[in-house]
Amino acid sequence: MKSREKVAIHGYGAYIPYYRLPTTEIARVWKGGGSGPNVEKAVAAIDEDTVTMAVEAARYAVRMAGIERLGAIFVGTESKPYAVKPTSTIVAQALGQHFTLAADLEFACKAATEAMQIVTGLVGSGMIDAGLAIGVDTAQGRPGDDLEYTAASGGAAYVIGRKDGNQIATIECSTSFVSDTGDFWRRAHERYPRHLSRFTGEPAYFYHIENAVKALLEETGLRPSDFKYAVFHQPNPRFPVEVAVRLGFNTDQVKCGLLNPLIGNTYAGSSPLGLAAVLDEASPGERILLASFGSGAGSDAFYITVSEGIERKRGINPTVKSMLERCAKIDYSTYAKFRGKLIK
Amino acid sequence: MMAIQYWRNKDRYYRLIGVSCTRCGRDFFPPVYRCRKCGSEELKDKEMPKEGKIVTFTRLYETLPGFETQAPLNLAIVELKNGVKVLGQVVDTPEELLKIGAHVRAVFRRIRVDGESGQILYGYKFVVEHVDARRETG
Repeated sequence: MKSREKVAIHGYGAYIPYYRLPTTEIARVWKGGGSGPNVEKAVAAIDEDTVTMAVEAARYAVRMAGIERLGAIFVGTESKPYAVKPTSTIVAQALGQHFTLAADLEFACKAATEAMQIVTGLVGSGMIDAGLAIGVDTAQGRPGDDLEYTAASGGAAYVIGRKDGNQIATIECSTSFVSDTGDFWRRAHERYPRHLSRFTGEPAYFYHIENAVKALLEETGLRPSDFKYAVFHQPNPRFPVEVAVRLGFNTDQVKCGLLNPLIGNTYAGSSPLGLAAVLDEASPGERILLASFGSGAGSDAFYITVSEGIERKRGINPTVKSMLERCAKIDYSTYAKFRGKLIK
Repeated sequence: MMAIQYWRNKDRYYRLIGVSCTRCGRDFFPPVYRCRKCGSEELKDKEMPKEGKIVTFTRLYETLPGFETQAPLNLAIVELKNGVKVLGQVVDTPEELLKIGAHVRAVFRRIRVDGESGQILYGYKFVVEHVDARRETG
């Protein structure tokens, strides 16, 4: 998919909460020892949720973009604080944006990239000048379940507008691939999601990402070696590396955007945060492949080229690296208090 | 109703919207109807700066109803960059960095929650900037 007019990223903002739960803590409580696949996971504080993290990431993105009017604000998440009442309108109010199309999107872990595609379409068609796409989650994992090791909190926001010379990167092309796949779900009124264990890999994650990325490479005529960086959805540390190798990328291309070992799986925030980490390091002219995955299931793949503007805007916002470094470890009981697993 | 009071003042809580005197330039937060410096009634809305420093602080172990789950909580008077002083919670900050003169920035957080089925009230709190973080933000 390509927009008629060239569309670009003008600003981005990441948000990783301050607290980290070592996965040895989860294993200590539920398994008697050991650890999870990731070293730690990022945990939202007791006064944080999807709204607060979306606002923080969005404020950074808007500051970097230097764009005053946002014609659309989409928040991609599966952990809305309200079942009925939009997250996006609270974000809009906090940003002082009122004449804007605001909506929440849900597609498990890929809700953010579909927000990016929708904003790209709105800008590319001329309906709006610029819009905001946010991916953020306070991911839920049932206590003691395998998911609890990785289910984490965090997100990123992107201001997308016309390509006008002030952009930091150009969105050249994207593809999507979906199917009805029951790898992971959460029914209405249920607090925690369920999953089909190993079924989440081959017929879900790998099948959809491989199809989306292959379609992108076919449409663009590019090869994996043409990209400097590749960012894949990160449900655990292993899957993104394995899908990269299967598709012909190497581990060096994946390394920069691979955050799961340090913060876990931030669901809708996962691949957008990986992209933010890459943009922190990338140089003008370099190509980035971004591929999300959402259970249910689907994948969006993007071909992005870094622009000159990235050098001018570097240093405006805190980097992903600085957010990884600014942290405090907590134990399982504090985590249980913060995430409402402890009922008073 | 807590939610209605909050709704009326949401820009104050969400964005630190105060007022500025168009005659003498003095800023006020929370908003006032008459300038306390020159007496002018010509005031316009103004977003306060989101950075400042701690003037003084305390730690609450016993909180008001509605804040019990956040205890112990740090409360500080913060002098914003324009000289306006505001009261707010300080979060995500290790004890050794919580001190008078510490640089802070405003963050968007849950202030309180009206039970399991009521509304969630959001607003500003403060975070002490680590040295590294200050360098990153310039």
